[in-house]
Amino acid sequence: MTTQSIAPKSAFSRFSSFRPSPQLVRGVDLAGQWAAPIMIVVVLIIAALYAPAFFLPTNLKTVAIQIAVLGIVAIGQTMVLLVRSIDLSVSAVLALGAVIVVQTEAGNPLWISIIQAFAVAGVIGLANGFLITKRQVPPFVATYGMLVFVQGARLAYTKGQASGTVPEILRAISFEQVGPVPAALIVWLIVNIIFIFFLLRTRYGRWIYAVGGNPSAARYAGIRVDAVVIGVHAVCSMLAMLGGLLLSGYIGYVDLRLGADYNLNSIAAAIVGGTTFTGGRGNLFGTAAGVALLIMLLNLVVVLGLPIHWQYAMQGIVLVMATALQGFRQFLLSR
Amino acid sequence: MQLTLNPLARSNPHSRQWSTFVRNNASILLIYGIIILVVGSAAILNENFRTPSNLLNIMRQSIILGLIAIGQSVVILTGGIDMSVAMVARIVGLVVATVFAAQQSNPALILPLILLGLLIGTLLGSFTGILITQTHANPFIITFGIASILRGVNLAISSTPIRGIPKPYLEIYEAKIGIIPVNVIVMALIWIAAYLFTMRTRTGRGLYAVGGSERVARLSAIRYNRTLVLAYIFSAFCAAIAGLFLLARTGVGDPSAAEGMDFQSIVAVALGGISLYGGKGSIVGTLGGVLLLASLSNVFNLLQVNIYYQQLFLGLIVLITVAAYKSPRSA
Repeated sequence: MTTQSIAPKSAFSRFSSFRPSPQLVRGVDLAGQWAAPIMIVVVLIIAALYAPAFFLPTNLKTVAIQIAVLGIVAIGQTMVLLVRSIDLSVSAVLALGAVIVVQTEAGNPLWISIIQAFAVAGVIGLANGFLITKRQVPPFVATYGMLVFVQGARLAYTKGQASGTVPEILRAISFEQVGPVPAALIVWLIVNIIFIFFLLRTRYGRWIYAVGGNPSAARYAGIRVDAVVIGVHAVCSMLAMLGGLLLSGYIGYVDLRLGADYNLNSIAAAIVGGTTFTGGRGNLFGTAAGVALLIMLLNLVVVLGLPIHWQYAMQGIVLVMATALQGFRQFLLSR
Repeated sequence: MQLTLNPLARSNPHSRQWSTFVRNNASILLIYGIIILVVGSAAILNENFRTPSNLLNIMRQSIILGLIAIGQSVVILTGGIDMSVAMVARIVGLVVATVFAAQQSNPALILPLILLGLLIGTLLGSFTGILITQTHANPFIITFGIASILRGVNLAISSTPIRGIPKPYLEIYEAKIGIIPVNVIVMALIWIAAYLFTMRTRTGRGLYAVGGSERVARLSAIRYNRTLVLAYIFSAFCAAIAGLFLLARTGVGDPSAAEGMDFQSIVAVALGGISLYGGKGSIVGTLGGVLLLASLSNVFNLLQVNIYYQQLFLGLIVLITVAAYKSPRSA
């Protein structure tokens, strides 16, 4: 994680005669891929030494549920990053899901409001994808605009006040345990397995890597690049919606700031896990490790009794260091 | 003003000057047209809007966003983006307020503290710029992360408003020369300087070159890294000035100051027609974007529109704007 110290000033400019040694390239590449698992071990050792309260069953359960929610969101974010895009509207979609399900639950059967919620998420994802591919808006601007729009729509609808009750089934998924394992974690595992299979073994999954690796080559190979990007954005929004439903079951009521940090955290988790923002490189195993690492770090802030705002700093440091490492790795690999 | 907005317009034959001018500056003409439309219809329909004091208010309200947006424009011209501007403005305000509070609001400290604020901005900007150029990381994600770090640090400095700003400092915001507030003059000077800088100096043109194509810029012997770092320093410096003005306006060190300014500044830049992929557009357009946002928010407040609907509307404007300007990705 110390790329800063490796890089002498101006020696890395693209047209200089600098040639990195193979050892350096391989070292940085491995560091980029294995940063998250290694750091997890380090953090666990630190936790065992300084914060034994981390390993209490109640705390571990909290960690597991948070991993499940962030993990599901981060799966979508990873796929979006794989096609050289980014989705900043996940936190708005996440919060919107809770509102739709909780507030319409009074009148409708649950399954109707859940279908509504996923349909809305799908439309938001399609709109993101459309703006990015057909209108060629930079992804972060399009999705950030969508974030502001969706948040405004939600707040205009709820008038900023939380109300309603969370359906029983959502509470059950978030609080029940299957044996020693929380049900939410099992949901995360199932979704993970589905998408790992999807990315590695199906044609559509390979298309995602192809589009991210080189869009023009993918186009010449007969892949409908725009359709892939739009589809990935729709899937990402729907996964964010699923995460929102789990989270509302866990938190129990609909908070105004529900899920506000999930943008930054999902991106950080994916990038720590070895996904590069230049697309085509990364996998869901790494993302899972990144999610676990990030949640453990954020939880340690609480367990160690530090003021809660150090969580912001912690998220930022993880994101900046991971981005710097991945950017440097991508730069070395592309030479 | 005519024919100086875009240097390319001058090299065309006289018979086609007017149409070339319109084509080259379409987005700028559009934005100022919309402003005239919005302000004109508001002035006709609402008598509270057309009072001179209200119009002056719009100018004054726009300076903080205006200062942040000008820095943002320069960064976006290079093909980057700076999501940390709001947090830079906030940390400058908080640090200055903290020192004032610790020193029993001693008026003698005003000048040193202003310099300290500007220094903080410059240092943060150079840190961001060097991090981005040396690691070749994505500027959006790096500055997003730095914004999160600064948010945590800001809350660590104080989570409640800080009192004890000396009176003379507060008068910075109220001071006037004639009828024109000093801060409007400061902003105007910075805008003119930035306009001349981007249009007339070699480094300024280098910003456009860097945003257009890294490869071509390097082959043209433009110092790529130095230009980029300079852009981020300028952006953070402008944000620091905005933070100092914001402190003078609110009168307390506010730990929620400048919330949302990073996004609004990007909106202003996008409205002004600067390509979000870099290398194209003019700072004059950004000024139009800022004025449009300020007058719209003023109109909304006069009409007493719910704040949440304002946010909804802002999001809608952004989506429509960015979808309307189709700017092909540079190869």
